[in-house]
Amino acid sequence: MIPFRLTDRRASSRPARARTFKFRQLVGLLLMVASLWLMGWDAAHRRSGREAHTASIRAVVRLLGTADLALSSSSRWLRHPSITEPGAAFADGPAILDNDPAGAALGLPREVLAGFSAEPDVPPLMRERR
Amino acid sequence: MKRQLALICFALGSARRRAGRSFALGFALALVTFALSAVLFLTEALRREFRLAVATLPDLTVQQLAAGRPALIAEQEQAAIAAIPGVIAARPRVWGYYFVSSLSGNFTVVGVDTDDGAVRRDLALVSMNGRLPSSNVSGEVVMGAAAAAFFGLEPGDAITLPVGRAEKRLQLVGVFRSEVGLWTADVLLMSEADAREFLHVPPGYCTDLAVHLSTPDEATVVARKIADRLPGARIVDRQLMARTYDLTFDTRGGLLGAMLLPALVAFLVLVWDRLTGVGTGERREIGVLKAVGWQTGDVLLARSWENAAIAFQGAAVGIVGAYLYVFGARAPGLAEVLMGWSTLYPALRLTPAVEGGQMLVLLCLAVIPFVVAGLVPAWRVATQDPHGLLRGTV
Repeated sequence: MIPFRLTDRRASSRPARARTFKFRQLVGLLLMVASLWLMGWDAAHRRSGREAHTASIRAVVRLLGTADLALSSSSRWLRHPSITEPGAAFADGPAILDNDPAGAALGLPREVLAGFSAEPDVPPLMRERR
Repeated sequence: MKRQLALICFALGSARRRAGRSFALGFALALVTFALSAVLFLTEALRREFRLAVATLPDLTVQQLAAGRPALIAEQEQAAIAAIPGVIAARPRVWGYYFVSSLSGNFTVVGVDTDDGAVRRDLALVSMNGRLPSSNVSGEVVMGAAAAAFFGLEPGDAITLPVGRAEKRLQLVGVFRSEVGLWTADVLLMSEADAREFLHVPPGYCTDLAVHLSTPDEATVVARKIADRLPGARIVDRQLMARTYDLTFDTRGGLLGAMLLPALVAFLVLVWDRLTGVGTGERREIGVLKAVGWQTGDVLLARSWENAAIAFQGAAVGIVGAYLYVFGARAPGLAEVLMGWSTLYPALRLTPAVEGGQMLVLLCLAVIPFVVAGLVPAWRVATQDPHGLLRGTV
């Protein structure tokens, strides 16, 4: 008795299963491409919708006089980072925790803080030597 | 083309034979891409909102410094600034902060000339559910939606707030529209007289001066002239404000990105481990392919297609997921981290700002290293003797 089967039903169904899988894979890839395209379309649609509000945004900035976003009201420095004591994160309380997640590790580049003032350049320090 | 299609079909079949490995790699890539994309989407969207508004800002803002901090500035300085050539207008502004201890946060109090026709037109455009504050009646206020919700007020309701030792009754006459919520969430807008009373700004003084120029490019020159006339003043240039904001979001986004670096490194280690370890089955498969006449280039191409398919699907799932998370679900968790701690958040209805080119770069950054990492081990195996690969001796 030869332990050998001429017809293996499972083996014969494998190519069909593989074809189905490949088809599904291809459909999956196409779906991914389609969803990325849909995302781009949705983004463009939202952008054009937002453009319609530009007049309102400009009006509110004219009223408020500042374009700072009201993202955090916890301290003045976070509410108006562009015009309220730049760099003075601790002005709202002695030893207060710095709520700015970035400010905890990194400060603004020095040239930005220097650039806020239009005062004449500070002359070099006059060192007194004996 | 037909050959490439056949190779893609073969590559997809290979991915199926190693379904567990393919799923694990695709899932890990999707997670990493999701995290990085979400930070990018949110940062760019916030930056775009600020850029939409920055064109309307005054060209220069003049503040008085006392003890190194902004102080009230005398309104009479307005005349000195208005006399400088190139200055169209120098307007005094009354605004400031009102601290509420139960909120542990500040409200922004803004005073406007409610009789001014331009102000009334702007107010009519951005407020709803009520009417405009009247200059004849004291205490009428327009609030941001978050502020009105915090106080529990509807248009027509009134609230009495402590102002120093006295109290001030405010009646809500309107709420800012939701499309400007990012700027007005914590704003209490009232007549200038009310704002002075609320903020204790004496007559003859103001918070700062907004300077408009005929030629904005001359801002630096005019700023120097103002600095000569007002030695104790700080002059804030609009372009510098925009640059500061850009840098603030660069820093915050960069820091979040840096926090994600360990996840990225862990993913790369996983990829390297998975892709460099060519298993016995894969070696035999490559041996069979070589034995039936495949060239080394064909093997490498099939391998590249397989890795590209896994990486593309993983990265696409991550990017689409991040888009839905930020612009559909409004980034719960991440938004709070990026904005900073607060108790008065605006309704975050952001507009996508990332463009197709940036998306393509993001996809390439995820897919290309993944494909390249898998090529070297496949090439090393594919250049071996096919008989040795089949017998498992090499």
